Formats: sequence, structure tokens, C-alpha cells
Amino acid sequence: MILLPELDARQLTSPLGRASPLTKLAVGFAWLAALVATTDPRQTLVILGAGIAGAIGLGRVPVRRFLRAWLPFVAAAAGIAAVNTILGAANRDPAARELLGLGPLRITEPALAVGVVLGLRILAIAGIGIAFAQTTEATTLADALVQQARLPDRFAYGALAAYQAVPRLSLDLGTLVQARRVRGMGRGWSPRLLLALLVLALRHADRMALAMDARGFAATGRTRYRIVRWSAVDAAVALGGLLVLAATVALR
Amino acid sequence: MRGAVVERGAVVEPGAVVARGLGFTHAGSAEAALRDVDLEVAPGECLLVLGPSGSGKSTFVLALAELLGRDVAGRLDGTLEVGGPVGVVFQDSGTQLVMERVEDDVAFGLENRAWTRGEMQARVPQVLAEAGLDGLGRERTATLSGGQQQRLALAGALAPRPRLLVLDEPTANLDVDGARAFVDRLAALHAAGTTIVLIEHRVELAWRLADRVLVLGRDGRPVDLGPPAHVVRRSGRALLDAGVWLPADVDAALGVASRAARPPAVIGEPLAVGHGIGFGYRRRVPVVRDVDVSVAAGDRLTIVGPNGSGKSTLGRLLVGLLRPDAGTVRLMGDAPHRLRSDQLARRAAYLFQDPEQQFLATTVAAEAGLGLRDDELARLPELMDALALPLGRFGARSPYALSGGEQRRLSLAGILARSPRLLVLDEPTFGQDRATYQGLLAILGARLDDGVGLVAITHDERLVADLGGRSAVMSGGRLVGGTMAGAPTTGGTAATGGSATGGSATGGAA
Repeated sequence: MILLPELDARQLTSPLGRASPLTKLAVGFAWLAALVATTDPRQTLVILGAGIAGAIGLGRVPVRRFLRAWLPFVAAAAGIAAVNTILGAANRDPAARELLGLGPLRITEPALAVGVVLGLRILAIAGIGIAFAQTTEATTLADALVQQARLPDRFAYGALAAYQAVPRLSLDLGTLVQARRVRGMGRGWSPRLLLALLVLALRHADRMALAMDARGFAATGRTRYRIVRWSAVDAAVALGGLLVLAATVALR
Repeated sequence: MRGAVVERGAVVEPGAVVARGLGFTHAGSAEAALRDVDLEVAPGECLLVLGPSGSGKSTFVLALAELLGRDVAGRLDGTLEVGGPVGVVFQDSGTQLVMERVEDDVAFGLENRAWTRGEMQARVPQVLAEAGLDGLGRERTATLSGGQQQRLALAGALAPRPRLLVLDEPTANLDVDGARAFVDRLAALHAAGTTIVLIEHRVELAWRLADRVLVLGRDGRPVDLGPPAHVVRRSGRALLDAGVWLPADVDAALGVASRAARPPAVIGEPLAVGHGIGFGYRRRVPVVRDVDVSVAAGDRLTIVGPNGSGKSTLGRLLVGLLRPDAGTVRLMGDAPHRLRSDQLARRAAYLFQDPEQQFLATTVAAEAGLGLRDDELARLPELMDALALPLGRFGARSPYALSGGEQRRLSLAGILARSPRLLVLDEPTFGQDRATYQGLLAILGARLDDGVGLVAITHDERLVADLGGRSAVMSGGRLVGGTMAGAPTTGGTAATGGSATGGSATGGAA
């Protein structure tokens, strides 16, 4: 059985764990915007460092767990950096300073700079995403969306139910693939699988909606078992997030 | 009756139900699923709803849950008064647990009914303790066992203190012990004065609970209503003819011949042989541990055991859908996971527990005929008739639009049409009424006589008895009772039995 990452108590009681998911989302998106806006490697490095420090320091995400989540992105970042360095438009600019010339392969300094920034950007985005995912429970996010962002219950808890269905969907896919194989249809992938998976997902959602309504799910007038409140932690996290942005601006 | 108003809310006293001329027609359907139901249920009563598949039992439950016309589009006729609040439990726990954590799921129904936070904090632990789930409040619902999940579904339905509890085959996915424990809990609730309306195929368990029985016919009309003994006396024959399951003692009273013993198996050459099989989906979490198994031609092996005991995983290992971490599996001499898909499909078939998870086509005819050779396609109509899914009537329908029992038979058709030598069937009788069950048994019997080897993974005690052959009990990934390896014990001739054991060594060495 495949499960969504289980967070331990240390992560959940950490400062980031106690902050509202909305605060973390706001800081995260502000940092993402800054990352996309800048091509300066130093600014990118500041946000990258802040993301890692936030996850491990403020989120108390175990280093091993962080690395395990981060590693696939390191590979992706290296690939993106390499591709952009090799294929960069600046390589065709005769005026650009050449770092390496091997027959048709010519790598210039501006192309390398772009490649490095794009690679760092991927690493930073992944770090921010991990800091959020490793300190936020799905249920808390749904509660915050309803109680703090005032989103409709039906949307937030519907999304929560869908999120929980993700592991089931991967089990469904595994079984469909096996069913194809044992019926002589081959081992490989087929568009038919996608259609079957879509049908299963829709039927699952249908039954889930029925079960929710059978338990009196109402759009309005619900009370709350778990309360999500703004606290000083949120102010501190927001302030810290702004300070990091200020630091990147100061580097200009 | 058209467009009549259905009364909602506590017009009648809590826990009571009054239906007058109740009917329902699904949107887009010409035929009513349920019609002319006149019924009064008194507070504290337990009503067992019986009927062949397609008789509107589930529709009746949805009506009581006040979901018809709201979540399920269609036209309601007549009047229905339900003295709520109503608690509802469905068959599949995977789609009725709403929240991620156990305690949040129990609280969900309370939040919907606007209980205060203090009330909820007092009620949630109490309900969990009653369900035998204390201490599990912070667990993810997905990590619970099947039996625990279904007890949680019941706990969630009971949390708001409903006066009426309606349940649609709540034990269908549970093992025997889990089902018994669940029905015991219902008995306690019944004794405490909760009104219960129950659809249950495991009549042996549910029969003793029932104060009255409502029998629905194939057209969705009530056939009979009354105390169990009266219904049996008045309508016993009709119930049998309609294919409704009845407890063994009722069967005997109605003069139903006890099952004819299958003739002793003629055991042939070994088909599948496994030695010391071990497997885990994740490292260090073995699901199957050190299992020896052999299945020969004409042989039948039933595997029972609690939910999560590794039965289905073992079945998938036998037909090469998974590769063992330890030990060896040989299917007619080859490691099955290395076989090409088309070779595998001629040697073995696997029936998955959830029929919907194996549908690959969009019509019944296409699904049944998927990947068949011309000669197999030519024999398909006959097979579909035998499975009570005549292509003329069902061929153009969507597999997903069938009832659960029909889906089960369609998924069987897809693999039986191919005549593989080894059949590994996970819950082959799920959702079958008496008539379709007998039809299925006849088909399997004929295949066994032709030298097919059969492995049935099941919670169905009746099937275990009817198939005969060897029976094995698995728990925690191990064999804990009966036998899976060695000579069959069905009383087959000693000579052929011996050859099966002798042959298994050859199979293992190949």
C-alpha cells in the first residue's frame, strides 16, 4: 500500500508545523515570484539557502528525509543547467567570452550563467515545496482554507478527499496494468489504461460524494472539530519571509 | 403518483419509517428500480431486506438515507417519512471514510450537524472506544485493516446518535471473523433500541437479527413482508426461485437438497508449483513468507484467511504478476513473471477482487472478447448465456453500468473464454445470488473435469464447502492451517495423487 508521506510529531510541532498553511503558502509564493523575476545567481542562492534552512531549521525536517525528497530535483536541476548551458543562445554570439570550444560545441560565459541560475532556481523551488509539504498535513491545509481563507467547505473537503484518493489511484493503475498482462494484452502502456483510470477516478469521486452527503454534509452551518487560528508564529514566519526578500533586494 | 411529494424530517417519531407507494425511477431509465413499497417500521425494529440482484434493495437504502433525487438523479413516487437522524453504512470502506484521520472522520458527521466543539471532544473518544478503536484517533484511516475501517464507518454513522441505522451489505468485504464481529455489534445496537434496516448477503449471520423481513422481487416490487418464519412459510418457494440466499436451516426446512458432493477429483500433472515463496511490496515488510504451494490439473485449492493475510498477493505470484523476493514459482515449468503476456494468458488466468479494476473496454461485448482468438470468440455467446449475461441484452452496455454481481461475472467471462489451464480467482462468487452462484459452480466444475487447476481465494464458506478439494488458511503471510502443497486430499485415486506429488519435484527443478 502506497501512502502519502507520514510526518512525525517533531515536524508537526516545529515552528513551521505550527504556522498556518496559508502563511507558508504566502511566503512560498512570494519567494517563487522573486525567483522567477531574478537572473542573479546570488539572489537565487539566498532564497535557496533560506528554503533549506527553513525546512531543516524551522520545520525540523530530518536531513535524510529532506535529501531523499530533494535528490530527484538535484538531478533535474543538473540536467536543466547542462541543457541550457550547451544549447544557450549566447553560444552563437561571437562577442561572448568563450569558455570551451570543441568543434561544433562552444560554451560561453553568459550561457553558463543562465544555465546555473536555472538549475539553482529548480533547487530553490524544490526546497520551498519540501519545506511546505514536510510541515503541512492535508487536513490542516483544508481546515485553514475553510476557516482562514473562507473557501467553501465543499471545495476544501472535496479536495482533501481527492488528495487521499491519490494512493488508491496508483493501486488502480497497477492492477489495470496487471490485468492487461494476464489477459495477453502486453506488458506496456496503452491509452486505454488512462481511460479506464479516469472512469475509476470518477466513480470513486461519485461514491465519496454520496458518502459525504449520507453523513449530512452541508455547505453551511457546520461547526469545527479542529480550530485553526492565526498566532504569533504566523507573524514571525511572515516577517522572516519578508526579511529574506529584503536581503535579496539589498544584493542588487 | 407522479411527482408526489416525499416528506422529509421528523413527521413520524424518531427511528420510525413510513413509506406509502414509494417508488423510484433512475434518470434515463424507463423501468422503475423500486415500486409500490408500503411499509411501516417501528422504532427499535430490525428489518432485513432480501431480494435477487437488481431488485432495488440499494435504492431502498438510498431512499431511507434521503439521498434519492439529491445525489441520485431520478423520479421519486409516493411518500416516505423517516424519523431521523439517519446513519448510513455502505459496503466499501474505501469510499465512505471521508477524512484523513480516524478522529476527524468520526467528527465529520458531528460537524455537519453543528455539534459544539465541547460536545464533539466528549463524543469522539466515546464512539471510538465503543467501536474498539480507542487509541487510534490520530491514525490515518488508510492504515487501518479492512475490519477496522468498516467499524470506523459504523462509528462515524453512529456518532450523531442516529435513531435509524441503514446498512447496505456492510460485511461484503470482510473476512468471516470481521463479519461476525460486525453483526454482533449491530445486535448490541438493536438491543439498545436503534432501528436497523439491513441488506446483507450473509444471511446466516443476519437472520437472527431480523424482526421482520422485506422481500423485493426482480421488478422492484415487494413480494412479502413479515416475521422471518412467516415469510419463509408464505413465500419460501418464491424466495428460492428468485435466487435469494437463505440460512442453511431454512433451506433444509424448505426441502432444498443439501449440496451434492463433487465426484473425487482426477488429479493430473502439476501446473503451478512454488517453494519457499517470499514477497513484500516494500523492503522489510513481507506480505508473503515462506509459502510452499502446488496445484495440479483437476485440482482445487481454496485459500481463506483474514483481510490482509497475503492471499491475493500469493495468487498474483502464482501467475507471475509479481516476482517473488525469495523462493521459486514455476508455472508449467517456467518462471511465470518472465513469460510473455500472450504466453501467460494461455497458461493462467487471474480474477482480481475488484471487478472494476480490471475492465479495459467500454462495452460488455468488447470487454468479454478482449484479446480472444476467433475460435474463442465463436464460443463466447454460449459462455455469456451460461453466466446469465446474454450478449443480446448486455453486449452494448457499459461494464461500469452493471450491478456488482454482474460485473463479477463479466470479469470471469473475460478469463474463462480463453480456457487457461490454471485459474486463480479472487472472490469469484462475490455478489452472486443463488441462481448465478449455481451457474458459476457448474462452469467451474466442467473446467475442473477438463483438467483445469483452480485456486479460489475467498471469504465465502459456502464456496469452500461446495468446491471441496484442499483448503488452506493464511494469516500474516504464512500458511497457518490446512495445506497448499503435496498430494490433494480429495480422495482422488492414489496413483494420480502420487503422480502429482512426484511431478511437483520435476516442476520445481525445471
